[in-house]
Amino acid sequence: MNAAVSEGGRRALWSLFGFLLVFLYAPIAILIVFSVNDRTLVSFPWEGFTFRWYRTFMQNSALLLALRTSTMIATVTAIVTVALAIPASVLFVRRRFFGKPFVSALVLSPLVIPLVVFGIALLILFNTLAIPLSPWTVAVGHIVIALPFAVLTLVPRLERIPAYLEEASRDLGASAMTAFRSITLPLMTPAIVSSFLISFVISFDEVVIASFIAGDEPTFPLYLFSQLRLPSRLPQVIAVAVVVMLVSGVLVVASEVWRRLANRRLERQLARYEGEEAVA
Amino acid sequence: MSELHDSAITLQDVRKSFGRVHAVRGISLEVFEGEFLTLLGPSGCGKTTTMRMIAGFEEPDQGRIYLRGRDVVGDPPNRRPVNMVFQHYALFPHMNVEDNVGYGLKLRKVAKEERRRLVGEMLDIVRLSGMQRRSAAQLSGGQQQRVALARALVNRPAALLLDEPLGALDVKLRKQMQLELKRIQHELGTTFVYVTHDQEEALSMSDRIAVMNDGLIEQLGTPRDIYEHPLTPFVADFVGVLNAMRVRVDEVDDLTATMRVGDGERVVVPVATGASTGQELMAAVRPERVRIRPAGEVAPAGDGSLVHGTVGLIVYLGTLTQYHVDTSLGGRLIAHRLSDDAATAVREGDRVVLSWDRGDSAVLGDV
Repeated sequence: MNAAVSEGGRRALWSLFGFLLVFLYAPIAILIVFSVNDRTLVSFPWEGFTFRWYRTFMQNSALLLALRTSTMIATVTAIVTVALAIPASVLFVRRRFFGKPFVSALVLSPLVIPLVVFGIALLILFNTLAIPLSPWTVAVGHIVIALPFAVLTLVPRLERIPAYLEEASRDLGASAMTAFRSITLPLMTPAIVSSFLISFVISFDEVVIASFIAGDEPTFPLYLFSQLRLPSRLPQVIAVAVVVMLVSGVLVVASEVWRRLANRRLERQLARYEGEEAVA
Repeated sequence: MSELHDSAITLQDVRKSFGRVHAVRGISLEVFEGEFLTLLGPSGCGKTTTMRMIAGFEEPDQGRIYLRGRDVVGDPPNRRPVNMVFQHYALFPHMNVEDNVGYGLKLRKVAKEERRRLVGEMLDIVRLSGMQRRSAAQLSGGQQQRVALARALVNRPAALLLDEPLGALDVKLRKQMQLELKRIQHELGTTFVYVTHDQEEALSMSDRIAVMNDGLIEQLGTPRDIYEHPLTPFVADFVGVLNAMRVRVDEVDDLTATMRVGDGERVVVPVATGASTGQELMAAVRPERVRIRPAGEVAPAGDGSLVHGTVGLIVYLGTLTQYHVDTSLGGRLIAHRLSDDAATAVREGDRVVLSWDRGDSAVLGDV
């Protein structure tokens, strides 16, 4: 324990931590509780355990369709975003070119543009170009907002991969492309997985842009919003939220565990390179 | 151009600038097949840039580079028949030892069985037999060094380029690896081009040394040449401790210049190109060539140099002891003697006589 923190200070920190935990997880806990409460009104008292709401949403074809649409959009978004983010991060880290600050500002700007503004802008753009609204237009919007997050996940990783590894590969007979594919890309894999997941999640629960450009096929969050007006539908919406939460929780934890295992050996070696650099 | 057959690498007036920095200002050099040649110089002298131009990581602004007689300027690194050992080994952290060493063979589409055999053979040579399955992260610094060597040598390059490969190792391991490198080079007969700033390393390993300074080769020769007959003050100074004296010529006799200093004191220097009376020269002598004996002992016979002085400082260096002697030449001269040499039982403050043979001093150039 840190000796610099007094007994009272430590207690204060712990209670702050507890406070945060409650605020983060109490709503989730309540959600799970109400998803199995046998009552149409989402409130106490407890009227017995039921899986009724889970069964009803499994039969709700509109909801399942929205879930499918969102999964499709998020998958496309994640794949395209990562495919764009990899060359972009290589460009930012490994190359010097004229107008680099401008280009990086351009790629990162969706971080600071309000989503509402961006949604309207996209709507006008698609209308002007006479492109019909569809899940594909939503994916386009999501790719743009996910790209900065993906790039910012890849850049620090790439910065830690010494450029001389690729030089060594070139020296041993690899073309520039082969060197990148067989050396740099595998070393970036953990960060690529992270940026894929981040892009997927950003797309999956994005509602603002989708509300402008989704067209006739609502995404999952859009569908949920539309159902909130109907109190009778609320319990099954809660049930589906719980399922989505659990699935994504398991996915994220599993991939994070894998990433850490894959990363550990790599990190040790890279840390060694850095240590030597510091000595040299 | 028939000599080109014996030449692994030929550089012709190679130049390279980075912006306003002239890293290499015109280097011509021939490296012979099977030779161990060292580019020796301080950081920023252009030695690493020269090596990177041979490997293909930098293109010269001017000049030609031939590898086994073929002009390679403009070829990317993967099309040049040389391989490099990097300063930090640059092992691929996501591959085990076998995949690291076999990387170049795989790219050249060597069949798997053949690859395994060649990798095994090379690991035997670098004394890492049975380490195939280890990951790079599990290896010590010395072992990583050996893997890097094997990875380059297994491709049978026209020349192996080594960029300060021992810099990251501790002193003891470094000495050991120096011997290892020499052994491996003898065993395979591969041409080695070695870059270092460590003069001791250069002297002990090389067949020839190119001493570089400020983007140029100052002197090219065998270690003995470089050490005993440095041609410029820079080379003399960089390749070991050196006593340099500014003297004025009093007499020239045949090819010997003599400077009278004081009562019976003199500095005698061979002057191959002649000298004139009154000319000022920079004369030099290696500390280990300087004999030291207490004043009052019988003066040594011979026609060498003789200088009186007072011992200002004695530094014990283990095998050697270093005597710093204040002389009437207007500076300190350093003498190295074996520590157990009983004849040199002098103490700080003692009056002593320093002497060295005519052939042991050299002229570093006009002043």
